[in-house]
This record gives sequence, C-alpha cells and structure tokens, in this order.
Amino acid sequence: MAIDLTLNIAARALTVDQAALGVIGNNIANVNTPGYTRQVPVLSAASEQGGGTFHLDGGVLLQSVQQILDPFVAQRLLAATTDAAQKNAVATQLTALVSQLDDLGDSSLTTLLGNFFAAASAVANQPQDTAARQGLLGAASALANELNRRSALVAQLQQHVDDQIVGDATQANDDLAQIAQLNADIARETAQGGQANGLRDQRRQVLADLAQKIGITTQEDPTTGEVTVASTAGPVLVAGGTVVNGIATQADPSNPNTLGGNTLHQVLLQTPSGALVDVPAVFASGEIGGLLEVRDNNLLTASQNLDALASALATAVNAVQTQAGAVDLNGNPTTGVPLFSGTTASTLAVAITDPSKIAAALSNQPGDNQNALALADLATTAQPTLGNRTFSGYAASETARLGEDARQAQGLATASQGVLQQVQNQRDALSGVNLNEELTSLLSFQHAFQASAQVISVVNSTLDELMQIVS
Amino acid sequence: MISRIADIQIFDQLRTQATGIEATLATLQGEVSSGKRFQTADADPLAAGEVLRTTTTLGALAQYTSSVQFGLSVLGAEDSALGDAAQIMTRAQEIATEQANGTVTASDRAAAAEEVHGLLQALTSIGNTELSGRRLFGNLALDAPPPFTSPDASGYDPTAAYTGPTQEFSIKVGSSASERVRISTSGGTVFGGSLKALSDLETALRNNDIAGVAGTIAALQQGQQDISAERASVGARENQLQTLQSQQASLTLNAQTTLSTLQDADLASVLSQLTQGQVALQAVLQAGAMIAQTTLAGLIKL
Repeated sequence: MAIDLTLNIAARALTVDQAALGVIGNNIANVNTPGYTRQVPVLSAASEQGGGTFHLDGGVLLQSVQQILDPFVAQRLLAATTDAAQKNAVATQLTALVSQLDDLGDSSLTTLLGNFFAAASAVANQPQDTAARQGLLGAASALANELNRRSALVAQLQQHVDDQIVGDATQANDDLAQIAQLNADIARETAQGGQANGLRDQRRQVLADLAQKIGITTQEDPTTGEVTVASTAGPVLVAGGTVVNGIATQADPSNPNTLGGNTLHQVLLQTPSGALVDVPAVFASGEIGGLLEVRDNNLLTASQNLDALASALATAVNAVQTQAGAVDLNGNPTTGVPLFSGTTASTLAVAITDPSKIAAALSNQPGDNQNALALADLATTAQPTLGNRTFSGYAASETARLGEDARQAQGLATASQGVLQQVQNQRDALSGVNLNEELTSLLSFQHAFQASAQVISVVNSTLDELMQIVS
Repeated sequence: MISRIADIQIFDQLRTQATGIEATLATLQGEVSSGKRFQTADADPLAAGEVLRTTTTLGALAQYTSSVQFGLSVLGAEDSALGDAAQIMTRAQEIATEQANGTVTASDRAAAAEEVHGLLQALTSIGNTELSGRRLFGNLALDAPPPFTSPDASGYDPTAAYTGPTQEFSIKVGSSASERVRISTSGGTVFGGSLKALSDLETALRNNDIAGVAGTIAALQQGQQDISAERASVGARENQLQTLQSQQASLTLNAQTTLSTLQDADLASVLSQLTQGQVALQAVLQAGAMIAQTTLAGLIKL
C-alpha cells in the first residue's frame, strides 16, 4: 500500500516539476517582452493519503501559477506614463516649432528686417536710383514671404497636432473596447478556475497605451478579475465588459484658436446612447492633453505674435510711404499707394511692383531723400504695439521666448521621463524576468524531477525484489 | 535599494545610456562641424536672443558705415570742386585789381573781359559738376539737367542762374533720427554771389568802366569768402564722418567679439568632450558585452 502511495507521490511530483519547468520556460521566453509579468509556480504539500497503519503526506501540488506584481506600483506606473506622455508631447511639438522656424539661420526675421531697412537706407543714399528702389522692393518681398512662410508653418503644425489628437482619440477609444473585451475574457476564464495571466498582461499593456493618451485610474474586482477604468477627472470609461463612455472627436468649426484654413476637432465623451458630451477635464492630461495645450495655446500665441509684427510693420511702413507730402520718383503723391498690403503674417504682401512708386521724397525737388530717411529710421523706432520694442528687437525676443518655452518643456519632459523610468524600474525589479534566477529555478526543478524519477526507479526495483520473493 | 534586477532592466539601461551618449556625441559633432555652440534657439534661448540683437546691430553698423563712405566720397568731391572755384575767384580778383588801373587800355579790358567770361563759364561748369551722374551742387539729383544756366544763354541773369533744387541732402549715420549729416551744398547759395560779381566784372570790362571794375572787387572777395566758408564747412563734415567711421569700426569689432563669445564653440573643449563621450560609449558597450556573458546559461551542462 505504502509503495503504491510512494509511486503516486513521485509520479505527481514529476507532473508538478514538469509544469514548473513550463512556467520557467515561459518566463525565459518572455525575458524581453515589454510589460510581461513574471510568473512563479505556487507549490504546496498535498494532504495525507492512505489509511490503516501507514500515514504518508500526499506529495506536492501545483496550487497556482502566480503573477508577481505590486498593484500600487502598477497604478503609479499608469500615472507616470500619463505625465511623461503629456510633457513629451509638448516638448516634441515646441522643439519642432523652434527648429522649423530656424531663427538662427539665414532666413531669420531679424536678418530680413535688417536687410529691409538697409535697403531703405540705400534708397536714402540713392533716392533716384531704380536699382536701389528695386532692392528695397526685393527686401520687402523677402520679408513678407518669410512672414507668410512662418504663418503657414505654424498653421501646418497646428493641423498636424490636431491630426495627432484625432488619431490618439481613436486609438484611446479602441483601447477602451479592447479593455472591455479583455475584462469579459478574464471574467470567463476566472469563473472557470483559470488565472488568465496572459490576458491580464495583455490588458496591462492596453491600459498603459490608454494611460499615454489620457489620465486614468483602475480598480480591479478581486472576484471576477475585471477592472473598472475611470478618467482621473471622474467619469467611468469601462466597467466590466462594457464601455460606459467612449471617446469620440468632432470637427469644431467655431474653435476661436483656428489658424489658417485648419479644421480643428473637439475630443468628447460618447455615452452608450451615442450622445457626445464635452468634459474638458478628461482630456486635460496625457498626450491628448499636451497636444491640446500646444494646439490651443503655444501655436496660437506664436501665430498671434507673428501677426502683431506683420501688422505693426505694415502700419508703420505704410504710414511713412503714404504720409502727407510724400511723393514717388515721378513727383506723384503716394497718399493712396501703400508699400505693404495685408495686416497679418499670412496676408502681408508687397503692394507695389513699380519701384518708382516708392515715396523717397517729401517734395518735388530732384534728389529729395527725406522720406527714405524716415523709412530707414523705422529700423530703430520703438513700436507701441510691440511693447515699445523695435521690429528686430521684438523678433529677437520672440525667438528667445519660443526657445525658452521649448527648453522648459524639454526639461519637464526629461524630468517626467526620469520619474517614469524609476517607476518602470520598480515594476521591472519586481515583475521582470531575471535569467539567472530562472536558470537556478530550472536547475532546482530539474533536480527535483530527476530525484522523483529516481524514487520511481527505487520503488520499481523494490517491487521487483518483492516479485522475485513471491515467485 | 535594489534587491533584484530583471534582465530587461539591464538591457534597457544599457540602451538608454548608449543612446544618451550617442545623442550628446551628435550634438558635439554638430558643434565641431558648424563651429557654433548651438544651432537652434532652444539650446540657449537667452544667448539666441542676444545673437539676433547683436546681428541686427552689426547689420545697422554696416549700413551706417556704407552711408558714411558715400558721404565722404561726396564731400571729398565737393571739397576739391570748391577749391577750384576759390582759385577762379582769386584770379578774378587779380584781373579786377589790374584792370581797375587807369593805365590799362580799352583793348586790354576787352581781352580781360574775355578771360573773365571764361572764368564765369568755368565757375558755372563747377556748379554743374557731376559725381556718378549726380549733380554735386544740385542736391545730388541723379541724371538731372545742369542746375546752372550757361552764361552764354541769351538774357543770362546771374542772380537767377541757379535753377536746381534748394532741398538739402542728408545721410543717416546713426540709429536715431537726429543722427544725420548734410552732404549736399546748395549751388545757388555758394556760387550765386560769385557768379553775379564775375558777370558784373565782365560787363564793366566790356564797357571799359574803370569805376565799375573797381566796384566789383568787394563783391568778388565776398564771393570767394562764400566759397571758402562752405569749403570749411565741408571739411568739418568730412572730419565728422571720419570720426564716425573709426567709431563704427570699433563698435563693429566689439559687436563681432560679442557675437563670437555668444555663439562660437570652444573647439578645444568640444573636442575633448567628444573624446570623453567616445570613451564613455565604448565603456558602456563593453560593459554590456560583459554583462551578457555573466549568465548561468553557459555554465549549465544539462
């Protein structure tokens, strides 16, 4: 009887060791899988078996395969992911803006403003020279074109950011549906006594993806294994196997921050009935939050400042060009002949093509250069609409401001990335796979397996001995 | 305290460190190839703003310098023309003094009248001098008709000989609107008295009017004084522009030094940082290779 029991115990141990080797093999296989949570076989001694005179413990049982993780760290990881994604989105876009404006390159606004006023000064020295006048028109055109280019560039960047917001919102909505589906699958497997470890890992990955887009909190039901996902701002997004509030986007033609001919989108919650609800707080964090901030604040300000410069320039230059008494090369008054048309950076253009229309004189006397001198003086004239700075001074300050914004955003992104890395390290330190550890366990279970096989062999030879006696 | 480390962490860390060092190396290489400490404003926003302001200053200085050079060329030409004009007036005074003497014959006076007419033509011609197509004594008007009427024209009136502009021509030599220097000389004002005196002298000589000849001497002297006074003023303005030129040269040098300090890369330091970075990258990669070897996998004989 006891020999049978021993054989059973050894046979069960072989099965358990094999299963444990399988778990270790799975861990080793997933050593580089991002987000994989290592699993350990939870063994326990089986209860007593047999009866009569002999009482033997029942060998080993594989109770469960447990994932090693700290739910608190997992929550912190979600929060750190959201924060890092938000800061990173802002830093990436502001850095792109600064690099595309290329303010330290040859086409900087300060260079082109300098060229324009140098050309005005050349006209002051040679008021009747058509080449000098043509030079001024050329410099004015280059300046207007650069302001147009910058305005278009900022508008393009805004459209690009909006496209990204729409993409993120769609992705976030897909994530919600996936989480609901995985919740249902996990609940089903849990109900059948399984642990659904693979599904849980998948769900954690989807949650991490969602946390990049918007701020979320999660709460797991210990019985069913389902998680309830809520926005950090309150509204529940997924409960059990159902998406309570989906995420949708809708074109918002009335957005006052729209630049150029852009179509901007609103990000909204979608109730099960299909109604769209505007809850801005839900989308104030994560990548969507960062992108919205850039789209509606930073890019808008950059564009407004370009417009302010363009408007001040057109106003001041035209005021000189069209002032009372100003005459062109042919002695005709230029009262109705402005040099620039348009009052914004996107619409600014040189309004005259004939260089003789430039008003260099304030009288009909040949060689008069008084008005050209007045135009050249604008280079150093403080402009009340630009905070009493000169045109070049304003452009230089704007470059410094944009650079500072980008630098600050980069600093914040680096800091939040550091925090994320730390939390990720905490998570990996606990939940990641260490190959040496696994290989040690591998050896340990291999030896256990060999020992159990040895037990069977011994029992076998014992039984053989008995058989021989009997025969 | 780290009690346990996962393989993914080790390799993540290696990756982060290696890419971090590589990014730094790329930045340093950019500094070496461009010679600039930074290429975009976010790298050093304050310095970027200063660079743009200093570049603007340099541009403005170049503009003022070019105006000053133009002014000097105009004033130089005026100076020399006024010198010639003064000589004409000196000769006219000599003639007037000689011809006011009662011993001189009528035919001598007629001959002198011809010379004085020549002087009148020469002075008119000086008044009509062009510099690169611009009337030196006619507000620097380009391709303009002669501002002085020829003395050979019928009904010549020396007091109305100047028909050019009366406007003054100034150049901008500094940032403020008041920093201007007049470089034009109004021909009518400078030569008007002299032309009248020469014309009167010619008439008196032709009429063999001794008292009339003597009577022009004072006016001829006054005319020469007008010219000399203007020439002194031209000289003073030339001096002013020369002073400005040297000031601007030193300001330009200062601005260039500032710009260089702001944006030029310290090549010695950058190159040593580059070497340091390369060594660090090598070390990280080597550490990675060593860590990869420290695994039980190679030691277990199954």
